[in-house]
Amino acid sequence: MGVQSASVDRQRPRRRTDRVAATGAILALAGCVALPLYALRANRIVNGTPLSLGAGGPAAWMLLALAIAAATASFSLAGKLRARVELACAVGMMGALLWALGFAAAHLAPDVTSPARVSIGAGAWVAVAGAAVVWFAAVHARPGRAWRVGALVALVVVVVAAAMWGGLGRLSIVLEYAVQGAAFWSAVWTHIALAGTSLGFAVAIGVPLGVASSRIPWVRTAVLSIVGVMQTVPSLALLGLLVVPLAALGLPGIGPLPAIIALTVYALLPIVRNTYVGLTQVDPSVVDAGRGMGMSRWQLLTRVEAPLAMPLLLEGVRAAAVMIIGIAAVVAFIGNGTLGVLVILGWGGQVDDLTLLGAVPMVLIAVAADVGLRAAGRLVTSPGIRMEVS
Amino acid sequence: MRRRWTGVALVGAGALVFGYVVSREDWWSLVLRSLFPDLPVVVFPSATLGQLVVQHLGLVLVSSAVTIAIGIPVGVWVTRPSGRDFRELVSATVDLGQTFPPIAVLALMMPLFGIGTPLPAIVALALYGMFPVVSGTVAGLDSVPPAVLDAARGMGMGRWQVLFRVELPLAARVIMAGVRTSVIINIGTATVAAATGAGGLGSPIFSGINTQNGALVLEGAAAAAMLAVLADSMLARVEDLVTPAG
Amino acid sequence: MIRLEEVTKRYGETLAVDRLSLEVGEGEVCVLIGPSGCGKTTTLRMINRLIEPTSGRIMVGDRDITSVTPEELRRGLGYAIQSVGLFPHLTVAENIVTVPKLLGWEASRMQARVGELLSLVGLDATSYRGKYPRELSGGEAQRVGVARALAADPPVLLMDEPFGAVDPLNRERLQGEFARIQKELHKTVVFVTHDVDEAIRLADRIALMRDGRLQQYDTPENLLDHPASKFVHDFMGADRALKRLGRVRVDAVMRSEVPRISDGSDAVAAAQRAACTAERFSYLVDQDGRLEGWIDCRLLDRGGSAESAITHVDWRATTVRPDTSLKEALSHMLELGFRSIAVTDETGRLLGDVALAGIETTLTEGDAYSAGGPAEGGAQ
Ligand SMILES: Nc1ncnc2c1ncn2[C@@H]1O[C@H](COP(=O)(O)OP(=O)(O)O)[C@@H](O)[C@H]1O
Ligand SMILES: [Mg+2]
Repeated sequence: MGVQSASVDRQRPRRRTDRVAATGAILALAGCVALPLYALRANRIVNGTPLSLGAGGPAAWMLLALAIAAATASFSLAGKLRARVELACAVGMMGALLWALGFAAAHLAPDVTSPARVSIGAGAWVAVAGAAVVWFAAVHARPGRAWRVGALVALVVVVVAAAMWGGLGRLSIVLEYAVQGAAFWSAVWTHIALAGTSLGFAVAIGVPLGVASSRIPWVRTAVLSIVGVMQTVPSLALLGLLVVPLAALGLPGIGPLPAIIALTVYALLPIVRNTYVGLTQVDPSVVDAGRGMGMSRWQLLTRVEAPLAMPLLLEGVRAAAVMIIGIAAVVAFIGNGTLGVLVILGWGGQVDDLTLLGAVPMVLIAVAADVGLRAAGRLVTSPGIRMEVS
Repeated sequence: MRRRWTGVALVGAGALVFGYVVSREDWWSLVLRSLFPDLPVVVFPSATLGQLVVQHLGLVLVSSAVTIAIGIPVGVWVTRPSGRDFRELVSATVDLGQTFPPIAVLALMMPLFGIGTPLPAIVALALYGMFPVVSGTVAGLDSVPPAVLDAARGMGMGRWQVLFRVELPLAARVIMAGVRTSVIINIGTATVAAATGAGGLGSPIFSGINTQNGALVLEGAAAAAMLAVLADSMLARVEDLVTPAG
Repeated sequence: MIRLEEVTKRYGETLAVDRLSLEVGEGEVCVLIGPSGCGKTTTLRMINRLIEPTSGRIMVGDRDITSVTPEELRRGLGYAIQSVGLFPHLTVAENIVTVPKLLGWEASRMQARVGELLSLVGLDATSYRGKYPRELSGGEAQRVGVARALAADPPVLLMDEPFGAVDPLNRERLQGEFARIQKELHKTVVFVTHDVDEAIRLADRIALMRDGRLQQYDTPENLLDHPASKFVHDFMGADRALKRLGRVRVDAVMRSEVPRISDGSDAVAAAQRAACTAERFSYLVDQDGRLEGWIDCRLLDRGGSAESAITHVDWRATTVRPDTSLKEALSHMLELGFRSIAVTDETGRLLGDVALAGIETTLTEGDAYSAGGPAEGGAQ
């Protein structure tokens, strides 16, 4: 009976709307028609006036067509075919959007000398999100490995092509990048350096504190409650509160010192807590066996407990890294040249594209740290315990 | 049981003390003056501390209300048969969203809603706060043992009865933990949002930074820190209260 | 080899172990048994100093265990526990060489040792060495645990309910393998269990404890036959007679002078020759003395045909070995419906037989506390 119905399924897959992909496609459609994809500004400071869809040239119409195609596919097709069509539409929508943006920029603000700017509108963000949702749905509907990889390659090709020949260089955020130049990269590096240094300090302090917490009850109570309270204090407030004690020590209340102190403090909680939990969740019989076979406390810690606690510890480091990459933006307010500076300057001068130039890389750094540290976590986790952590 | 209510009473008393201390501008000016004897002004001139606290709480309460009103139903919906298709998408979005720096979310809202009003800040706070609430709700509902659900259905409860009488009460602690995280993040992000003209306790801090006035910075920072710690312990008590006994 | 002298362990008000004195000879298996909470684990863990005694002295070999560091002491004492405690992040091979590594062995020696030990505990070395503990069944994990305890060839093994968490069928097999390994290696073993059958099967001597005190320390036979108190008698259980059979090997009651006929080439002629013996049955063997079947002599006497009087059997299915326990032999007989069973060696050569009557005499050697023994509450 079961076998029979399965084979029937294979011949004539049950047609059920892919609601996730449909949602994404409709989102992308809404981005195209209900919101402006791009805005024209007379110069970099004034508010933009929305442009019509057609300003993006043929690519814009293609975007619209692909969104409709994706929606149609999600309603009418089924199985692998549907997944593949959706995937192709998603890649196509992203590419078409980039080309449309580039077309609008190159045609409406063609001149290097002209102050006019074409910037990314709300509709474009919504359309990208919609295309990403279609992509997500398609990948989860098993289009096959070749298609998954192929889609990624195609996206890279389209993005590179659009960057080189699609007029993206005339888009206002890119122009803003050109204006900032070295300042942008110095902000990126300062951002990474501050977060990285603080993370290093936090690991150096937090791991021993976590180990001590797992061994000595009063240390645990004291450390976890102090670090826990610090964590709830808003980052800007902590920076402000540091002014007084630092001044009392004759140290500057602005610049990298208070920044590193604050970032380290915030990174401590996840690291201490996960070290502690990681160590205490080790099966007591495993520890007993190790002791019974003659391991010293140090050997037990380094050969048994540490490898078993490592996945959780690294998860703590990951959470800490992501958090302080965010807070590293806030320390720009006390005179650190992180990406936060671009955001602040953008707010101050009402230059939206400058704000974006700070915010987008910040997101990318945080996501990269997240992905990288997750991968590192998998790498140092013994295959014997990989299943238990997820 | 008694222990729980003692905690609640303590936190309530803390809130009253905080409210009173914030209203005594004269105490603040006295203390700050003694710390910074050389500064021309030691308290924020444009608004009283009480007003700033109210503004700040307003931002947080409005955005958190939106967050909860949307986040919990979304979390419930993706664990129901009707929303199960969207569960993976929502989880992935929530995971990704939580890696976004809060200030970046704030920054991304600015071009959409314009600067100088609290609106972009409220939208950003509500959006960013959504992630822990949704993931807390999903995790909480997932933590309910399937055997309990079976038993509830076996006793003849309908779907809504199972949800409201069994699932949500059992998931309440984890959901509340998500709400608590969300609110605390919002209090912190709201401080930064003052830079976009949203008002609140960040205002004296930024004003102090711009005029190199440590007293103003300290005024805002101390009040914001106290508010956050107080809110955190209040929500921790709520968490205790909604935890089913046993 | 191991000597406990007036050892006491006190936890606040509780006396976990109370003035316990015990001596385990070299190569002996001493089983600690008693009700839950009687102090077995505490006693065992005091021997490798996972617990320090409140008072008293423990000697291993000829030195006081406090004369070396706990780590050094433990590396010389194999240790296996009920929950196994395999390191989940290490492979089977890495788990096994834990102590050799601590002792600084060379890599090649450790590799060779892993192979030896895995085959010793009955696991295929090539397929198991690279596995992780989560890929093992309970019985396999327990075997690896024993291999790990034996890794550095310690003279002493400490085992705390090592087969306690395994299903009964596997436990039986693990016990058999343990007995075989012990026969080969002659370790001095202190073995904790709460399973009386396991104790009787494996022990050279059993230490029965209650509330931290030693009740009786003796051979299993003596514990069964001469319990020192009503408690010992009751603890050993109502089916003591059967249990006793578990201790007695077949060769102890085997009759080796059995009528046998080497049939030559003509089985029927042989059968006719058998008709004159006094016994009812006569065994039929080939030229090498291997059992082929038996002949019912009475049937021949009554004039039955020779063919009908001969039963051909496969010796593998119908005989026992000399080292089989009487308990097992009895169970075989009952299963087959025989009143006696042949005993052969590993190749099927007939050595003798065991009759139900012979087992019965062993069964009836009761003890003083059986029905009619001293009244309730005897010496305790
Ligand atoms: N760490 C401890 N603290 C207090 N009491 C203990 C501790 N360990 C064991 N005990 C007590 O000592 C007695 C003997 O325990 P144990 O040796 O584990 O018994 P078992 O014979 O079941 O192995 C029990 O009553 C137990 O409650
Ligand atoms: Mg025990």
